[in-house]
Amino acid sequence: MDEPILRVRNLSKTYMQGKIPVHALSDVSFDVDKGEFLSIVGPSGSGKSTFLSMIGLLDKPTIGSVFIEGMEITKATDSQAPKIRREKIGFVFQHFNLIPTLSALENVDLAMRFARVRKSKRRERATELLTQMGLRDRMDHKPSELSGGEQQRVAIARAMANNPAIILADEPTGEVDTKTRDMIVELLRGLSENGQTILIVTHDTAVSARTKRIITMQDGKIASDIKRGEVQIKIT
Amino acid sequence: MNDLIIRNITQRKFRTGLTIFGIALGIFAVMVMGGMSEYFNRHMERSFNLVDKIQVVPETGYLGGIIEESKVRNVNRVPGVFDAYGLLWMPYDVEGIGLIGDYVVGIPPDKQKSTVKDTKLTYGRFLLPSDGYRAVIGSNVAREFKLKVGDELPVRSKRVRETASITHIRNYTIVGIMEFTSTDYDNVIAIPLKTAQKFYELENIVSYIWVVPYPDVDEEDLAKRIELSVENITAISPQQLRKQVESTLVVINLITLSSAVLAVIIGGLSVMNTMLMSVSERTRDFGLMKAMGAEIKDILYLTMGESALMGIIGGIIGIIGGGVFIYYMNEYLSSMGMVLFAITPRLIIISLLFAAVLGTISGSFPAYRAAKMNPMEAIKYG
Repeated sequence: MDEPILRVRNLSKTYMQGKIPVHALSDVSFDVDKGEFLSIVGPSGSGKSTFLSMIGLLDKPTIGSVFIEGMEITKATDSQAPKIRREKIGFVFQHFNLIPTLSALENVDLAMRFARVRKSKRRERATELLTQMGLRDRMDHKPSELSGGEQQRVAIARAMANNPAIILADEPTGEVDTKTRDMIVELLRGLSENGQTILIVTHDTAVSARTKRIITMQDGKIASDIKRGEVQIKIT
Repeated sequence: MNDLIIRNITQRKFRTGLTIFGIALGIFAVMVMGGMSEYFNRHMERSFNLVDKIQVVPETGYLGGIIEESKVRNVNRVPGVFDAYGLLWMPYDVEGIGLIGDYVVGIPPDKQKSTVKDTKLTYGRFLLPSDGYRAVIGSNVAREFKLKVGDELPVRSKRVRETASITHIRNYTIVGIMEFTSTDYDNVIAIPLKTAQKFYELENIVSYIWVVPYPDVDEEDLAKRIELSVENITAISPQQLRKQVESTLVVINLITLSSAVLAVIIGGLSVMNTMLMSVSERTRDFGLMKAMGAEIKDILYLTMGESALMGIIGGIIGIIGGGVFIYYMNEYLSSMGMVLFAITPRLIIISLLFAAVLGTISGSFPAYRAAKMNPMEAIKYG
């Protein structure tokens, strides 16, 4: 078997709230293989978002390590972090977080600018991704002219622009209706079937139910880790 | 990235417009104040280049004093003096004090050519010993009174008679017009010394004496020797004159430049304010860009590029505005016989650099804030 694409080892994060330490994450360890489609669920304050920001290099753990494709990203310096974010990670946020002044195409294009991709190549890739997301006719529209579902598809295209090792999605269906939610989850699942590793943090059981693995967190710890696909395979 | 910078600037037209206007005003002040100081500097520099003679003035000072013409002979006898001649200086406007504006100089006709050094005539000829009420005028005088060779220029003299003063007017025929030199010579009305003495009723009187030393004579030594040999006069070598005036110029430059700098600082604060607002409005965008892998230098480039561009646009508008103002101001002032501003390439380059540096520096603090933003905080904030 190949080396896991993501390895999390003894990850802990403690915040100080005044003089009281708050353990947002305690000793979390697990592996994710390439192409996995997994969800992290749990009540508010269970540590899901903290965990996501550790993997996404948006925050640093108190102790523990995160490896992406064998590289220990938790050891990255401030100057190395942007390169890792560009090459290894793609983010999808709850509020879509598109840049309002740029068109859909330009929003996808922007992610590749920071990776110093040539202009012609950027345009080609952005068009390809937006077409894949079913937004070929909406590419020149600004976010305010797009529906929630369309905006989130642009955000997914943007997350994929630089061929990241993992896509981290933080409540990607938190602001859309159920129909759109289903469409987005299907889209993400389709991507994972093509080999894209996708990690979703969600409250929504309807979303997690469609992923192949569900990690449930409680009080900063992993309460359960169920690989449904494997179980099914094992059963059959 | 440059297209993003332009887009951000054009996105908020009114605010950008106001900021650019603030910078433009600052740079306008730099142009106008700097133009004035450039004019003074250039005027003095060129005037000094034309003055290569020792000036003998009354002990009381430059203006309004008189020297008996007999002293010219005394000066001429001082060893080292090649030639010495007196000049009679009067303001053209006899009611004014004569600090600015045109002035009449009575000059020995055969010395005129050497007095103005290399200055050429645009029209006509220099004065001749046989000339009476004839004049050679500087270019500003010609422009002010719209004079050509052959035209007549009325000159007034005020003669004091016991308790009353009587004003006489006499027409002088223009025989020559000098080229523009950007020196005091542009405002001169040169007439024969004898005619001047008679006209102003100052027979055997001169205002100052110009001394031409022998080529190998040290001018400062000679000036001292003249002071020792002739009573009640002060002799100033070209070097001393330069030193005296330069120290005055420093003060003028300081005053003009500090007011320009003040204007520019105000412009800079307006850029900083705009950029701080613009950055805090886009907190989420910058956080997002960092999450997408933007480096600190990318964010700095975007934000500082924006403020630098506003600086440059404001600078160009300020320079054009200042240039137009100076042009029309000079046109207007020259109709009154004076010019106050000069636009030099140096001034334009300095103004533009100033604008760009101003924009960049004012934008650097907001840019640094944007670049240092924690992406998670920034995204949550949005």
